[in-house]
Amino acid sequence: MVGKEILIAIGIPLLAFSIGISLMMFRRKIAARIQRRYGPNFIQPLIDIFKLLAKKGNITHGIMYDLGPIIALAASITVVFFIPMPGMKLMTGSADVIALLYIMVIGSLATALGAGESANPNSSIGVARALTLMLGYDLPFVIVIITLVLKYHTTNLYAIMQAQAGGSWAMWVLPLSAIAGIIVTYGALGEHPFDAAVAPNEVATGPMAEYGGKHLGLLMINHAFHIYIELALFVDLFMGGASNIFYFYAKMFVIFVLIIFFDEVLPRFRIDDAVRFYWRWPTILALIGLIIVLVK
Amino acid sequence: MDKMTEEQYRAISNMLRKRSLWMLHYCTGCGAMELPPTMTSRYDMERFGIVPYVTPRQADILLVTGYVNTKTLRRIVTVYEQMLDPKYVIGFGSCPINGGVYWDSYSVIKQLDKYIPVDLYIAGCMPRPEAIITAFRHLMDLVDKGKADGYRRYKENLDYYKKNQRKVLG
Amino acid sequence: MMNMSLGILLATPFIGGILAYLGGKIHRWVRYTLAILFSVLTFCELFFYYGTESANLTWGKLFGSLLVLRINNLSWLFAFIVTGISMLVVIFSVNDMEEHKGLDFYYMELLFVEGAMLGIVLAGDLITFFMFWEMMSWTSYILVIQNGEMSMKAGYKYIIMSIIGAYAMLASLGMVFGKAHSLVFSNVANALAKSSPGFVIGFFVLFGAGLLVKAAIMPLHTWLPDAHSEAPSPVSPLLSGVLIKMGAYGLFVLFYGLLSVQLLGNLIPTILPVPLLLYIVQWLAAISIVLATFLAIMQEDAKRLLAYSSISQIGYVVLGIATGSSLGIAGGLFHALNHAIFKSLLFFAIGAVIYRTGTRNMSELGGLIKKMPITFTGALIGIVALAGVPPLNGFVSKWMIYEALLQKKEVFLLIFAFVGSTGAFLYLYRFIHSVFLGQLPEKYENVREVPFLMQIPIWILSILAVLFGVFPGIPMKVISKAEAFFGITPVKYNLYGFPQGSAMGALKVINISSVLVTALIVVLVLFYTLPKSKKLSQYDTYAAGQIVTPETKYNYSYGFYMSFGRVVNPVFKWSADKIYNAWARALKVFGDYMRRVYTGNLETYGSYIVVLLTIVAFVILIGGRLW
Repeated sequence: MVGKEILIAIGIPLLAFSIGISLMMFRRKIAARIQRRYGPNFIQPLIDIFKLLAKKGNITHGIMYDLGPIIALAASITVVFFIPMPGMKLMTGSADVIALLYIMVIGSLATALGAGESANPNSSIGVARALTLMLGYDLPFVIVIITLVLKYHTTNLYAIMQAQAGGSWAMWVLPLSAIAGIIVTYGALGEHPFDAAVAPNEVATGPMAEYGGKHLGLLMINHAFHIYIELALFVDLFMGGASNIFYFYAKMFVIFVLIIFFDEVLPRFRIDDAVRFYWRWPTILALIGLIIVLVK
Repeated sequence: MDKMTEEQYRAISNMLRKRSLWMLHYCTGCGAMELPPTMTSRYDMERFGIVPYVTPRQADILLVTGYVNTKTLRRIVTVYEQMLDPKYVIGFGSCPINGGVYWDSYSVIKQLDKYIPVDLYIAGCMPRPEAIITAFRHLMDLVDKGKADGYRRYKENLDYYKKNQRKVLG
Repeated sequence: MMNMSLGILLATPFIGGILAYLGGKIHRWVRYTLAILFSVLTFCELFFYYGTESANLTWGKLFGSLLVLRINNLSWLFAFIVTGISMLVVIFSVNDMEEHKGLDFYYMELLFVEGAMLGIVLAGDLITFFMFWEMMSWTSYILVIQNGEMSMKAGYKYIIMSIIGAYAMLASLGMVFGKAHSLVFSNVANALAKSSPGFVIGFFVLFGAGLLVKAAIMPLHTWLPDAHSEAPSPVSPLLSGVLIKMGAYGLFVLFYGLLSVQLLGNLIPTILPVPLLLYIVQWLAAISIVLATFLAIMQEDAKRLLAYSSISQIGYVVLGIATGSSLGIAGGLFHALNHAIFKSLLFFAIGAVIYRTGTRNMSELGGLIKKMPITFTGALIGIVALAGVPPLNGFVSKWMIYEALLQKKEVFLLIFAFVGSTGAFLYLYRFIHSVFLGQLPEKYENVREVPFLMQIPIWILSILAVLFGVFPGIPMKVISKAEAFFGITPVKYNLYGFPQGSAMGALKVINISSVLVTALIVVLVLFYTLPKSKKLSQYDTYAAGQIVTPETKYNYSYGFYMSFGRVVNPVFKWSADKIYNAWARALKVFGDYMRRVYTGNLETYGSYIVVLLTIVAFVILIGGRLW
């Protein structure tokens, strides 16, 4: 049985990584088609990561600079084990939704510390913006999660997923919360209109400004995991997981395409406007959803 | 790792690297006008895998677009040294080749190759996007064959380059 | 024997203080040794009482009421915090306060504060409690004002507000003495159980006001930022880590020792999930959490930031304790223990930085990670623990409080608590970024790591933070026994977490930690097989080609969260501090009016007496009949 455990331990992150990378590939192609051009090779993200990891003249600014992307990637791999995949409970018995929210923070904290050590004010500004944005979207996010927990009387993610099996998705039952949840996913992924933290023209890509070579490669792998985590969390919470991996991927793909469509046409919020926006409309929608669940 | 595997690794690595060159979005002179048309939908550059990136730490190609005076040369040298190996320099326009329209100026560098190693020149004032894309394809060819080794030349002949830089920059 | 030695336990710090004072006259190392010896001795004596359910010692009689000392598991937990942190503070002060004048007096006061707080947790009746409460106030006041002009003003505000709270407490003691004729806890509880609801509410409000001032819940918090930031460096951990816990301890005793959840519930029946009075306290705590977090984000001074953070975290403790359910109370008590650990760790770290660099203004510091790596590690562990990130200890206690609020369906409080916790990442990141990361200013080139005695507290607290995070069962043992003693069903737990801790979810921290460590090892192996990196100086960074030198200040340190400030500034137009200052000014104006009557002039007073006697004589002469 130990062999099976090891197989799962290696296979799950690889599966998550491949899902994340394939979504990144689709993203560049779809974005290019929206802009009426051909776009890069389909497997371009993989080539990019290979090129970055194979760079020879890497630099470092100190031990914390190295540890930033390392711990971020390790934390992302850890989170993958606590989000149930179709048919597999993974480790949701050890950490429920509230614990999951906190485990997801380890990665951002590590990137922030690494970016701070790179001694570049652009990175610091980027991190300050990213943290402010996190404070912004956490308010509707928490309200949405509480709504779900109250509706299904459990905080175990697997149980929430199971309770929606067979068509009664939380998306149809709690539509307002689902809308708030999607808007939160924009912010969490760092897509337009909430990408003030990694704005290339304003703050030189924020935390990634001083990172190059293998560190940037690790950060891109981390981004692929991050896409998987956010979308899988949304699908598990609102669309009832899936019965097998293909339906799971299809649901994630649909949500991601929706996100790309808005991403490519919208400009960027200023960071305090973004926080004000999050504390106004998504919060109101989520609160109405919460009150509906409380009253019933 | 015996020599055979080393060569195979290098061949595969060059083949993959040529497909994902990242350009430094650093407009040093008037030639940068031709970059936006190359990046956008009509003469799409992204289909070759070339994407503009912001900081020298993240980029592979330095485009010296247009004329270079001594003030700019100082910055270009700093940026070039901040880039990570392997890195490539493309001289853009006629000015880095022989001074271009500023051939008799006192403050414009006439021959860029004396100060930083240049892999490729694009002639023209300004080169059209089609010429730029042809140049990128030529660079990808050089990378594939392993001939684009400006960074190695820089490291080996550092004294020569530094002597020239110091003569001009003071 | 057991009963007698409670007195010895209590007397040890006082004796130690006096001996340290006298010993200091001989030689300074005698003073240091005696102080450290007696604080360690108190800490070790505490372990004789581990697991005692109750032990009593009657030590006097006042106004017909017995004065009692007692210990049970709850007192043991708080006494552990008190003696442990005081021991570390004394060890830290040896090096930190070297250039200070009047050190004999300082060490005596330090040990007296420890003794006073120990007296509070060991008190078995309200008179002892009040005596030691007041003693804690004035001894800590003397410690706060040791740091110059600003600290005198800060201490002034501190002592005035403490005294006002203590007067309220005294009034409540008077109330209940009239009813119960004895102030021992059990007698008071019986008397309150038989009293009318109005009486109980009055007692609750008055006694609670005194406790809430010390626990720094808004709007009674305004003394805390000044006092904790202006106090000397070793005193701040004592104030922030231990003293405000006394308020939380008093609240626990008030809610569940003197009153009880059933009694509170029957007072004012409502449809709320918790009794109304507890609900009001919970809301005050929740507002405290969020507003203090927002204020902390905007601070420029490192110790003020940590002081506002203390207000926010003690809000969590009070929120947990006032929940009334077993998981919530356990979470609140656990968070009190955790907060003592990581807040003291952070204050020790910034104290070490101030010791070496002399400034606590965050925009002047930077890049100290290479010079002070051990302090950096301590600060990093403190930050990760405060943020509530697994696998360190803050996560477990915050998780318990959230689960308890979910069980009681108190969703709006939960939202406030969550927002406060996310806001904590902001100011904590600012703290570690501006002090330790970035570029090193030239004037701090010669900074070295702090001496070994100052590192000991940082080491010990870091290890404790990690230990209690990965194995929360260790403190849970004491906490659940404390809960059981007060009649609350204890929480089911095991060494690694909560198997079915709430009806809602389970937690097993060791799984999270082990997965994280395994993933970390895998990524490290991957990282080190890739091509090696070259080390660069902190000044060789992207500046669009510009060459960065130490003269160009190329860092982002002032006004780190200005954009967030634009969002929340409209809320902070009202400030409790301004209201209190306005009241103080109004009182001064009233006093000015009164001075027209009470002129202080002897002739005027003489004329008043003469006029009054004339009137009295006249009234007597006309036979006492004015009409």
